[in-house]
Amino acid sequence: MTHMDFRAALAPVFRLPVPALPVLALVLAVALLPGCGRDGEHGSMAADSAQRIEIWAHAGREEERRTLEAQIDRFRAERPEVRVDLTWIPEGSYNGQVQAAALAGRLPDLLEFDGPYLYSYAWQGHLRPLDDLLPAGLREDLLPSIAAQGTYRGRLYGIGTFDSGLGLWGNRTRLRAVGARIPDDPGDAWSGDEFDALLERLARDDPDGQVLDLKLNYTGEWFSYAFSPLLQSAGGDLVDRAPGGLASGTLDGPESVAAMAAVQSWIRRGRVDPNLDDAAFTRSRVALAWGGHWNFPGYHAALGDDLLLLPLPRLGEATVTGQGSWQWGITRRARDPELALAFIAFLLRPEEVLAMSEANGGVPATRSAVRKSELYGPGGPLRLFARQLEEGYARPRPRTPAYPVISDAFARAFQDIRHGAEPVQALGWAARRIDRELRDNRHYPEVAGTAR
Amino acid sequence: MSRRHPGEGAAAWLLMTPALSGLLVFLLMPFGLAVVLSFSNLRMASPLPLEFVGFSNYTLAFTETGLARALLNNLLFALVVVPVQTALGLALALLLNRPLAGRAVFRTLFFLPVVFPLSLVAVVWVLIFAPGPDGLLNAALGFVTLGAWEPRDFLNEPFWALPAVMLTSIWQGAGFQMVVLLAGLQAIPRQLYEAAAVDGAGRWRQFLHVTLPGLRNPLVFVVIVTTLLSFRVFDQVRIMTRGGPQEASNTVIHEMVRTAFDQGHVAMGAAMSVVFFVVILGIALIQRRLLRQRGEVA
Amino acid sequence: MRRAGLRALLAYALLLGFTLLFLAPVLFMLVASLKPNEQVLAEAGTLRAFFPDTVGLDNYRAVFERVPFELYLASSLIVNGLIVGLGLVVNAFAGYALARLRWWGRGAMLGLVLAVLVIPFEAVAIPLFYQLSWLGWRDDWLVQAIPFVANPLAIFLFYSFFLGLPRELEEAARVDGAGVLRTFFAIVLPNAKAAFASVAIVLFLFHWGMYLWPLLMTTSEAVRPLPLGIASFYTLPPLQWGDIMAFGVLMVLPVVLLFVVFQRWFVRGVASTGVKG
Repeated sequence: MTHMDFRAALAPVFRLPVPALPVLALVLAVALLPGCGRDGEHGSMAADSAQRIEIWAHAGREEERRTLEAQIDRFRAERPEVRVDLTWIPEGSYNGQVQAAALAGRLPDLLEFDGPYLYSYAWQGHLRPLDDLLPAGLREDLLPSIAAQGTYRGRLYGIGTFDSGLGLWGNRTRLRAVGARIPDDPGDAWSGDEFDALLERLARDDPDGQVLDLKLNYTGEWFSYAFSPLLQSAGGDLVDRAPGGLASGTLDGPESVAAMAAVQSWIRRGRVDPNLDDAAFTRSRVALAWGGHWNFPGYHAALGDDLLLLPLPRLGEATVTGQGSWQWGITRRARDPELALAFIAFLLRPEEVLAMSEANGGVPATRSAVRKSELYGPGGPLRLFARQLEEGYARPRPRTPAYPVISDAFARAFQDIRHGAEPVQALGWAARRIDRELRDNRHYPEVAGTAR
Repeated sequence: MSRRHPGEGAAAWLLMTPALSGLLVFLLMPFGLAVVLSFSNLRMASPLPLEFVGFSNYTLAFTETGLARALLNNLLFALVVVPVQTALGLALALLLNRPLAGRAVFRTLFFLPVVFPLSLVAVVWVLIFAPGPDGLLNAALGFVTLGAWEPRDFLNEPFWALPAVMLTSIWQGAGFQMVVLLAGLQAIPRQLYEAAAVDGAGRWRQFLHVTLPGLRNPLVFVVIVTTLLSFRVFDQVRIMTRGGPQEASNTVIHEMVRTAFDQGHVAMGAAMSVVFFVVILGIALIQRRLLRQRGEVA
Repeated sequence: MRRAGLRALLAYALLLGFTLLFLAPVLFMLVASLKPNEQVLAEAGTLRAFFPDTVGLDNYRAVFERVPFELYLASSLIVNGLIVGLGLVVNAFAGYALARLRWWGRGAMLGLVLAVLVIPFEAVAIPLFYQLSWLGWRDDWLVQAIPFVANPLAIFLFYSFFLGLPRELEEAARVDGAGVLRTFFAIVLPNAKAAFASVAIVLFLFHWGMYLWPLLMTTSEAVRPLPLGIASFYTLPPLQWGDIMAFGVLMVLPVVLLFVVFQRWFVRGVASTGVKG
C-alpha cells in the first residue's frame, strides 16, 4: 500500500455522511472543555493564583452551609482581591475523596476534615503545621480541647471553630418523681452503682421498663465517641496512649471489659430503648438519653424546662466526656499558607465563631466566644458542655493515624456485645485487629519529606 | 473469494488499534495491576515503602474484613433474585406473547424501570421502605393482611435489609428479562405449536415440550446475566444500607469499595477484586458448559 | 370460545395486577415530587400517596435552588455522548476488522475480545481508580467516559452483525478499486444502521446510570453526573423527600421520553444482547 492509497482510504473519515460528523464535533468540543469545568463559582474575575483560596468543606446541615457561605462573603468584603473557590463534598465519601485527591496531587489549599482523620493526614504529610503561622493571642484563646485534638506529635495541624459536647439528657419531672439526686456539676456525676439503681427505680414506673436511650440507632463513629469515655472513666481506653502502645491489654483489659459489661447489663435487663424512630426521648418513652449538643434544639422544643443536661455517669473517680468535631487544616499544596491562615483566623473571630455555633449548636471553640454565648456562657443551658471541655473532663480521641480503624473495630465489638457476645471476647477481637493495623504500619514512623 | 487485497492488514490494524488500546489500558492493565497489588501492602497516600506481603491480604480479607459475609450475602441474593426475577420475567413474557390489545403499552410499562438508574431506584425505595405504620410498604402490607402486619424498619433490621435490597433489584430488573424472553418466545416457529396441537398436546404440554426447549438459550442467558449481576450489586447497597445493619446487606463490591476507597486499603481492595473475578469466572465457565452441552457456540 | 374469552380476561387481570406493582413506585415518586415536603412521608401510608390534595412545582424550583442540577445533567449528557459517540466508531471499526478483513493476528484479537468479555468493570474499578488517580487524572468528564469507549460486548455485537451482512456489495466496491476504509464508510455503514442503533442503545442504557465510577473519580459539582447527583442530594441535609423525588423525576424524564420515542430500538437493542450472547 502506497502513501497515496493510505490517504485516499482515510479521506472519507473527514467527510462522513452518517452519524459520525456530530460525534466528531462533540469529541472536539469536549476535548477543549475540561479546563472550563473547574472554574466558575465564587468571584470569577482575578485569575491571579496567588490571591486565590480553594476550599473543601463537608456538605453538612443547611444552616452550616449557609453560614460558611455567608462567612466567605464577609471575608471577601474585607479582602475583595481574594478569590475563594468552595467545593462541598458529601460526608459519606469524604475520606476517600481526600485520599484520592492527595494521591493525584489535587488537594485544595484549605481542607476541612473530621477530627479523627487529622492524624492520618498529618502523618501522610498532606498537612502543613500551623504553629509558626498562628498569632500567639489566638492560640491562647482556643479551648484546650481544640488545641489537643489538632495536635499530632507536638505540632498543631488543625483548628476547629467549634467543638462537640457529650452528656446525658434528663427528663426533670421523671427524675424528680423517683427522687433522683441531680448532679449539676461535672464533679459530682453519678457513680456506676448510683446510675444502676436509678435505672431500676425509673423502670418501676415505666410501662415497658425501657428508661435509657443510648442512641443504638446511630451508626459508625457514634459508638467510639459516645462510649470510649465510659471505658476511660473506668480506667480503660481504646488503646494504650504511650508511644508504641497497643490495644491488647487496654481495650480488652479488665477496666474496659467491666465498662462494656455494665453497658451490656443495661441492655440485657431491658432498660435500653432501641430508639428505632430516633424519638425515644422526645416522646418521653425514656427518662435519660446519652447524647450531645446537636440534640439540644429538638429536645428543648419537646421538653422545654423539663430538659436537664447532666454529666455522663462515672465508673471510676471522675466522669469523662468526648470531644472533637470538624476542623480546618492547610495542605502542603497551599499556594499561599498565610492567606489560608488569614481565612481561618477570620473564622475564629468571636462573632464568626458564634455565628457557626448558632448555626450548628456546637460548643464555640474559643474562650472569648464561649463567654459571649447565650447557650454556653455562664448560666446558659449548655454551660456544662463548655465546662467539661474547659476543665479537662474531655479526653481527645487516640491521636494516631490508626484511629479510623480503631473506631471501626470498636463499633463492631459494641454491636456484638449489644447482641450478647462476651465483652472480653468481642473487645479482644477488636484489640487484635487494631494491633495488626498498628504493626502493619510499623507504628507510623516519621517519614522524612512525606510531602509529595 | 479468497483473493487477498493489498494493504488489508494495515487497514485492519488501523481499525483495531483504538479499541485494542482501550481494552489494554482500561481493562487488562488494571486487571494485571489488581493481581500485583493484591500481594503488596499498598495503602492510598501512605508514605511507607511498598512491600511484598504474600497471600496475607487474601487470608486477612476472609478472616478480618466483611468479605466472607459479603460473599454469602451475594450468594443468597443470587439464590433468591435469579429464580424470582426470571420467573417474573417469564410470566410477563408469556402474558405479552398472547394476541392481546394494548400489548405494546404493557411492555413499555414493565420495561420502564429498566431505564431508571439504580441510584434513583434506590432512593425511591428508601422512601417506600420508610419505617413505622406510615411507610408505604408497611401500610400496604398492613392493608393486605387486614392489620396483622407489624410495621418494620426494613433497612435497619438485620433480617429485612437484604430482602429489601433484593426486592428493589427485582423491581428494577424484571423488565429486562421479560424483553429477552419475549424475543425468544417470538423466535419459536409457530409450526411447532401447531404440530404439537395436532399431536393432541394441551397448553401445559406445549409449554413443557415446545416453549421451554425453544427458550433454552434465552433462559440460560437470562439466568447467567442475573447471576452475574447478583455478584456485582453495589449501587443499592451503598445508597440504601451501606452494608448494614451488622453486615446483613453487605456485598463483595461494597466491601471492596469500603476497604479500598473509604478506608484507603488499596491492596486489600485489590485482593477482593481478584476474589470477585474468580467468582465471576466460575460462573462464566458454568455458562459455557451449559451452552456447550447442546453443541452451540457461545 | 367462552373459554378463550375467560383466558383473555384472566390475562388482562394479571397484566393489570403487574402493572400496579410496576407502576406504583413510579407514580409514588411522581406524586411525591408535586407535594409539599412535609406531606410526603406523613401521607406515604395513605391513599394520598397516589391521589394528592395539594400539588405544585415548588419542589422542582427547590431542586434548582439547592443544587446545580443543570450541571449534573450536562455532565451526564456529555459523558454519555462521548461513550456512545466514540464507542460506536471505535467498536464498529474493531468489529469490522474482526469480521471482514484477513490479517495476521485476527484470531488472537478475536480471542482476546471474547476473553475480556468476561471481566466485569467492577473487577478493575479499584486498580484503575488507583492507576488514573496516581497519574493525576481524575475529576473531569473525560476520565468518566474514555475508559468505557472500547467495549468488548459492543465489538462482539458489531462483529456478529458484520458477519451476517452479505459480502457481494463490498466485493463489488472493492473491484471498483475502493480501499478498505472507503468500502467501510460508503457501503457497510449505510447498511448497518440497525446495528448502530442497537449498540448505541445498549451502550447508553448500560452507562447512563453509572454510579460507582464517578463516585470514585469525581469531586467537583461541575463534573458530577446525575446518578451521583441524586445520591449526594439525598444525603444533603435537610432531608426533603419532595425535593428528592422532584430531582428523580427531572433525572428520568429525558430518558423516559427517549425510551418512549425509540421504544422499538430499546427493546431490540436489549433483546439483541440476549439472543446473540
